[in-house]
Amino acid sequence: MTIIDISPWRLAAGYLMLAIPLGIIFWLRMPMLGQTISAVVRMTLQLLFVGFYLQFIFDLNNFWVTGAWVLIMIGVADVSIVRGCRLRMSRLGGGLFIALLAGTVVPLLIFVVVLQGKAGLNAQYVIPICGMILGNCLRADIIGIRDFYESLQKSEKAYLLSLAQGASLKEALHPFVRDACQTALAPTVATIATIGLVSLPGMMTGVILGGGNPMTAIKYQIAIMIAIFAGTALTVILAIRLTAFNNFTARGTLDPGIFEARKS
Amino acid sequence: MTNSNQNSHKGATVQMPEIEIDDLSVHMGGQTIISRLSLRLFSGQKVTLVGRSGCGKSTVLYSLLGFINPEAGAIRIFGRELTGDSVWKLRTRMAYVAQEPQLGAGTVRDFLERPFTFKSNRQLRKNVVRIPELMQRLHLPTSLLDKDISTLSGGEKQRLALISALLLDREILLLDEASSALDRVAKHAVIDLLKSSTALTVLSVSHDQDWIGFSDHSVDLCKAQHGAEA
Repeated sequence: MTIIDISPWRLAAGYLMLAIPLGIIFWLRMPMLGQTISAVVRMTLQLLFVGFYLQFIFDLNNFWVTGAWVLIMIGVADVSIVRGCRLRMSRLGGGLFIALLAGTVVPLLIFVVVLQGKAGLNAQYVIPICGMILGNCLRADIIGIRDFYESLQKSEKAYLLSLAQGASLKEALHPFVRDACQTALAPTVATIATIGLVSLPGMMTGVILGGGNPMTAIKYQIAIMIAIFAGTALTVILAIRLTAFNNFTARGTLDPGIFEARKS
Repeated sequence: MTNSNQNSHKGATVQMPEIEIDDLSVHMGGQTIISRLSLRLFSGQKVTLVGRSGCGKSTVLYSLLGFINPEAGAIRIFGRELTGDSVWKLRTRMAYVAQEPQLGAGTVRDFLERPFTFKSNRQLRKNVVRIPELMQRLHLPTSLLDKDISTLSGGEKQRLALISALLLDREILLLDEASSALDRVAKHAVIDLLKSSTALTVLSVSHDQDWIGFSDHSVDLCKAQHGAEA
């Protein structure tokens, strides 16, 4: 069983389906027509670029080129998280990069090396699996980092009370770290619990479309879910710990310089 | 107070202030909040900071706890200069009650026991046996212990924050408008309790006349600062 390719003409015909959402937008005079068209054009160009580039990387199948691509993906995720949290890049970027690197590479290596053997280090496996793990790490880090720093700001008095009661920095931060990790991991746990019932997951769909049988597909799916869970847990705790390291004063108070100045 | 707070010199005993603020200046958001303030508190003294809003009364307490880094001047507690290194140890000799205390989540019992999970307070865990007695003295029923913190009134929160501070057996107590949400009976219970703690040094911020009357003396912070507006 092999995958059926889509000819450019058939894909172009697929674009005709856009008439439905565009028609609704036009009919209801929703002020998002330009934005929608721009998003579709962007999606097409971005995916075309990634398609050509991945084809090149897969054909080359060089460890260093694959590694460089993974680092670029992590770098882009790093910037997205800091922007998503409205925090200063200079204060978070470095620690977050290490957290994303560890959260992506550790489960990736376990997945590709332990589960698949050395052949799993091929670009064809590394890049899509890395993308799936990194996408989840990015979402978890945005939730975790934002929750951690915003809770500290919101519950500043409770935090300062702990310090006043003689807590060390680690002790005073502990409830905030715990709650932020819990908030960040909750969606992954919920996804694990409902997987297969609510939607057919991406990895499984990919394996089935690629010609694999459903039993092979679920083994891949179980492995990727465990890798994602391990990766998100690792990246969130590291992201909080590593960024907290240089965002508190010697006296234990949160340095307000971490927050981006609000535009009036 | 303990002998460690006294310096002997040629047979004469010179008492060292427990709190010594020297020429303290604090700026925040481009504004001068405290300008060249000097203040001394000796063991067992009860001093109340008064003055109009914006004089920096709460800022003085925050500075003593090391939550604010002053622009100029020095703070010494038990003769030791307050710095980024020393503040962690010095905080274990002070207790603080905020005006509107945020007691965190959980039950009252969780709140009162939480400080004893910190390494520096573990040896004080035995003090939890004093909780019923202190609650009784401050007119709080012990049935409150199993109540969720979110259901408490402002006055209950203030008294519980004070009990938590007293359980820590500190030598210095810093109180920021600690009677603002209390009725007359509860306020006098708090005053009586603090009066009976003769060795305890209390620096408080208040506008309340009863409270000011209880302290050894009050300091008008607006007038105590050099270069400040009268």
